[in-house]
Formats: sequence, structure tokens, C-alpha cells
Amino acid sequence: MSNPMFEIRRGSAGEVAMAGRLDATQCDAALKFLNETADLRVIDLASLEYIASAGLRVILLTQKRCKAAGAGVRLINVTPPIHDIFRYAGFDQILDITRAAG
Amino acid sequence: MTERHTAVPSDAAHLPALTEFLRNFWSETGLPTVEAVPFELALEEVFMNVVMHGSQGGRVPRVEVSVALVEGGVTLIVEDDGPPFDPLSLLAPNVTASLEERPIGGLGVFLVRQMMDSVRYQRRDARNQLQMTKQLAVGPSTSK
Repeated sequence: MSNPMFEIRRGSAGEVAMAGRLDATQCDAALKFLNETADLRVIDLASLEYIASAGLRVILLTQKRCKAAGAGVRLINVTPPIHDIFRYAGFDQILDITRAAG
Repeated sequence: MTERHTAVPSDAAHLPALTEFLRNFWSETGLPTVEAVPFELALEEVFMNVVMHGSQGGRVPRVEVSVALVEGGVTLIVEDDGPPFDPLSLLAPNVTASLEERPIGGLGVFLVRQMMDSVRYQRRDARNQLQMTKQLAVGPSTSK
């Protein structure tokens, strides 16, 4: 079993894509990247394999910041294991979340 | 019974080693990858809790982790020799509050309790012990 690292980058359509594992060791870098992203609207989580409460904190802080500045952020292509965690945390009530197709 | 054990100082720098330990157990035992996430999350949350709250007077507790296949599921035991602390005594965060009122922290232990079938704390031999068990939807695929 591979041990994927975490990656965050800006895609061609302006979306931010996260891939790999957003654990407690990666959340500072992720939050910094998101804070420095202008006009953040969409985060693509298609390749995100893992998130824990430290990562949820990053998402929540980002949503609070974006909502205070206007529109909130949308999470797209959320896979079932990640969606379960969002649901347990009640994030489906405060974020626009679209599940991965299939 | 298949069982593995490891120990690390309670320092966040050791989180990747614990994750790798769990993933190795997963591949050794042929468990389906998709079932690993709740256990990886439980291990991270409980370990990070000890990292954040377990050090007193500069002493860094030692964290011992055991993972074992049990009938139809997996049991994860995390022990530390830090000061007495029952994470199950923490109040559940409000997960229905509006965005503005939503607290930033406190989700870790709550998520563990949601995702595991059982979570039990005991203070034993001057150690905190948290035992977590969850049944798996799909069993090991090693029966060839």
C-alpha cells in the first residue's frame, strides 16, 4: 500500500485541488495556500484520500473567511469515505458539497 | 490472532510513522483499503490529543499502539503514560450550529466516537488506555 503525500495546487479553471492525505502534519501548509488564493470558489477533492479533524478545521476556517467576504466555497467530487466524515461533522449543513459521480 | 504493536514519543513528528504502521498492518492482513480510513482517523485523533494535552512540566509521554484482528473487525488500543485524562469526558461539539457559530475545534474525539462501534477508556497502571473497535463490512481477502 502506498503512502501518498498531500498535494494542493490551483487548477486551470481557478479551482483548488487537494490530493492525498490532509492530516495534522499538512494542515498549516494547506491553510496558508488557501488563505493566499484569491477568488477562491471551488475546492476539488476528487483525489483526497484522507482527512481528519485538523483538515476539517482548515475547511471550516476557509468557509468562514470566504463567506464573510461574499460567497462561500464549494466542495466538489467528494468521495464516499470523505463524505462520511463531512456528514458526521455536520459539514453538509454549512457547505455546498457535491459527491463524486459513480 | 494477528496483532501488531509499536511505540513512539507523543510528538506530532511521529504521526506519519504511526500512519505507516497502521497501513502496513492493513496490507499484511489483506484488509480492504477503503475500510482503513476510520481507523487512521481514530489513531490520528487520539494520538494528537495526547500530543496537545499530555505533556506536563516538559515531560513527553510515550504512546503505545496495538492493532489486532478480532472476530469480524479490528481493535485499536492507544496507551500513554501521561497525566490522567479521559477524552470521552469531553463535551460533544455542536455540529448543527450555523456557520457563524460553528466552533473551530473539538471535532476529533467526537468523530472517533461516531466512526467506531465502541470506544472505552480506562486508567490502568498509571496509564491512559483507549480501546476502540469497529466491525468491518468486508473481511480480509487472504483466504486463497
